[in-house]
Amino acid sequence: MSADGSAGRAGTLEVNTISKNFGGLRVFNEVSFTLAPGELMGVIGPNGAGKTTLINVISGKLAPSAGSIKFDGRDIGGLPFHTLSRLGLVRSFQQTNTFKSATLRENLARAIRFSGSPPSIWGKLDGMLRQFDLAPRLDVPSDKLPYGLQKMLGLVLAYATSPRVLLLDEPAAGLERRERQQVDAFVDAARADHGCAVLIVEHDMDLIKRLCPRILVLDAGRILAEGAPAEVLARPDVIAAYMGIVEGEEAA
Amino acid sequence: MASFVSAGLIGISLGAQYALLALGFTLIFGILGVVNFAHGGFYVLGGYVAYSCVAMLGLPYPVAVLAAMLATAALGYVFELFLVERVVDDHLATLMLTLGLYLMIGTCIQAVYGPESPQFSFPITGTLRFAGFYMPLENLVVLAVCLVAIGGVYFLMYRTDLGRGLRALADNREVAATQGLRPKLLFPLAFALSCGLAGLTGALVTPILSLGPLVGEPVLATAFLTVILGGFGSIIGATVAAFLVGLIEAYSVVYLGGSKGALALFVLVLIVLIVRPSGLFGKEARGA
Amino acid sequence: MSRLSQFSSEIAAIAIIGLSFLIPFITDSPFAYSTHNLIAVAVTAAFSVYIMLRMDLMTFAVPAFMAVGGYAAAIAGLKFGIVDSFFLTALSFVAPAVVALPLGILLLRLRGIYFVLVTFLLTQILQLLIFETPDLTGGTNGLVGMPATTIFGMELADNKSVLLLAIGVAFAAAIITALVSGYLRREFAAIEENEVLAQSLGLVVWRYKVIGFVVAAGLAGMAGFSLVNMLLTAHPTSFSPQSSVNYIAYTIIGGRGSMLGPVVGATLLVWMSSIFSTHGEFSEGLYGLLIMVVVLAARGGIVGTVAALWRRLTRNLGSETSAAPIVGTVKEVAHER
Repeated sequence: MSADGSAGRAGTLEVNTISKNFGGLRVFNEVSFTLAPGELMGVIGPNGAGKTTLINVISGKLAPSAGSIKFDGRDIGGLPFHTLSRLGLVRSFQQTNTFKSATLRENLARAIRFSGSPPSIWGKLDGMLRQFDLAPRLDVPSDKLPYGLQKMLGLVLAYATSPRVLLLDEPAAGLERRERQQVDAFVDAARADHGCAVLIVEHDMDLIKRLCPRILVLDAGRILAEGAPAEVLARPDVIAAYMGIVEGEEAA
Repeated sequence: MASFVSAGLIGISLGAQYALLALGFTLIFGILGVVNFAHGGFYVLGGYVAYSCVAMLGLPYPVAVLAAMLATAALGYVFELFLVERVVDDHLATLMLTLGLYLMIGTCIQAVYGPESPQFSFPITGTLRFAGFYMPLENLVVLAVCLVAIGGVYFLMYRTDLGRGLRALADNREVAATQGLRPKLLFPLAFALSCGLAGLTGALVTPILSLGPLVGEPVLATAFLTVILGGFGSIIGATVAAFLVGLIEAYSVVYLGGSKGALALFVLVLIVLIVRPSGLFGKEARGA
Repeated sequence: MSRLSQFSSEIAAIAIIGLSFLIPFITDSPFAYSTHNLIAVAVTAAFSVYIMLRMDLMTFAVPAFMAVGGYAAAIAGLKFGIVDSFFLTALSFVAPAVVALPLGILLLRLRGIYFVLVTFLLTQILQLLIFETPDLTGGTNGLVGMPATTIFGMELADNKSVLLLAIGVAFAAAIITALVSGYLRREFAAIEENEVLAQSLGLVVWRYKVIGFVVAAGLAGMAGFSLVNMLLTAHPTSFSPQSSVNYIAYTIIGGRGSMLGPVVGATLLVWMSSIFSTHGEFSEGLYGLLIMVVVLAARGGIVGTVAALWRRLTRNLGSETSAAPIVGTVKEVAHER
């Protein structure tokens, strides 16, 4: 069970030289990193670098073609999706992903019920729902919510499972500038309330620079660089990988 | 020994027919993700169109077969374009839609032609005797036509741009769409091709076996079996499995008798599904 | 929304079936008896389809599990002299459920569409099995001359009693359906709406699919017992693959969104088929047309469409009431931008 009553003891996620192929196409190759309990790390890279597939593999949606993934010292590669979620390894989705015709309240109720989170989680959700403008909309069907709120709901659902490791797949994609700052607030709250580690895959450089003390750069399926954002983003090979792609400030 | 070879020849002939049916079925499933429950209905329709051309319009049999193929392809095209397209992302809805079509085809045929089997026979009769083995000529002709048709499908799928497009769609619809392939254009075509193949098979086989409103029932079961065995979405798999099924059926009729062969086949396929759900050649079958 | 109103359609469905207990006391017409007997069987079988559809799974295996339940009851009666109605009803639920459990565990991890195909094959397999085991099942002749069942020792031999038993079985099936679909409402709805999300939140989806499958098999078995008891014969033609389409039609056309759907669909369609029995071959085409109409234009079937119309009518007449009371400690706060 992911919620063990104590204030969220997080485990260590070890990713050891994992690769993923689809037929003849190698999506990523020999990727390794470790995520310590409570740590916050960003993963960036140009489109097609394999970022979403990486999350799919770590979260259990896909099995790695090679290499191993350990959580709490235990091999989790190939374990079913729901088992990993129950162990505390929970992801959010790049597209909006909610129970569309169910109300916001019902969505949350399901997340709590399926993950086995204790009912006390409602108290923690209280503040978060107010902060993200979701509280007045508890009885609105989730597919009637505007895009930005649906994305925030997706994040809140993941939070409601009392995760120990949160894998966020482009949480800011499609959000306006004001909404992007809510992602910051979300990550802070998740780490404060659950003590969970957070891995963020993102395109928004500002967000990554603001939030993450450590980032990984993925390019053409392999790790190009790893370290603090300031150094990594100044490296010539990283800049070259992004050449021609305008990142950062987008018209709000 | 003679019966062994004869059964084998019959099995290959059956296999060719099943291959035509399975190819169409697996094409639709691979490309659209749709299970066409009306597949048997198009088979029957093909038979009746050919019969009508021969018996009522006096057309020569080869023309009738062609007409049957075109008629079923056209119906499939229109059905996909106007009805299936509206729900194509919802697998259950498309299944029910094709199921509804199947029921309607059956009733319409009964309404127009009555429940009795019309007199529809193959224009070529006689048997080929060769070194002690024998094979009815009609099976031989059907086998030849089927092999040509199978060859045609392979040529289409592997040597033409249209075929490449269809295969790309089958492999990964989103990626293919971003590369400019238009599902809205290609889906009805794929559906039409599949139904045309079913209609062609019906026009060829029903004069040999029998024609009647209900002859489409076992067609669907056979198509399922073959496609599960060969792997959903795999063209090669469907072909190989079809010949396998044809041979197993031919030999079990001769050596096991009764419905034991059919039962063995069904159970075999069930086991395959459990042990290796992607079949012989197919892709990922497990859900999340 | 109060708990009661949440289950309004379940309660309505059970109430309708409960009221139909009165039918044998209101009329004596043999036509009414046979039609309502058929309706009771159809409703029970339609519940089997309904439970699976709650998880967005289509099953063609209803005749297969009906056969297991029906033959189990017939064999119990003929070869072991067991005639107690309660026992036979329970047996007709348990036997197919036991068969369905290992099958479900093996098959329900596959993609939904594979599952549908397998249920189709299951029905074919059962038919062939029946033909190939004549010692047990009587083969093509079936098992004839089942003894009448008893309840609390009283024999249920005449048409009225047989009908009452059929309604009783349907009533029990309705209660089982209501309990299961009510208790597992959240899980089923989550699986139906967004299976991937449910999994990522920790729901062991395939476990609930197996539960639904096993219960659906049991319900079908009960329908099989009811049918066999009505005919006093267990015959393979009662469980033909073609009939699977009928049970699906009853639920889809009636409405897959609530328990009232299978009740309304089965009642309406079986009744119509009985009246127009001379044009039987057209009923299939009509079902086909109605299914297509439902899929394209009226997803909720008869019940769903009527309910939607009702909501629209009442909305035009009165204004929407304010939001329901809020759960837990979350309070509504006027939000300032």
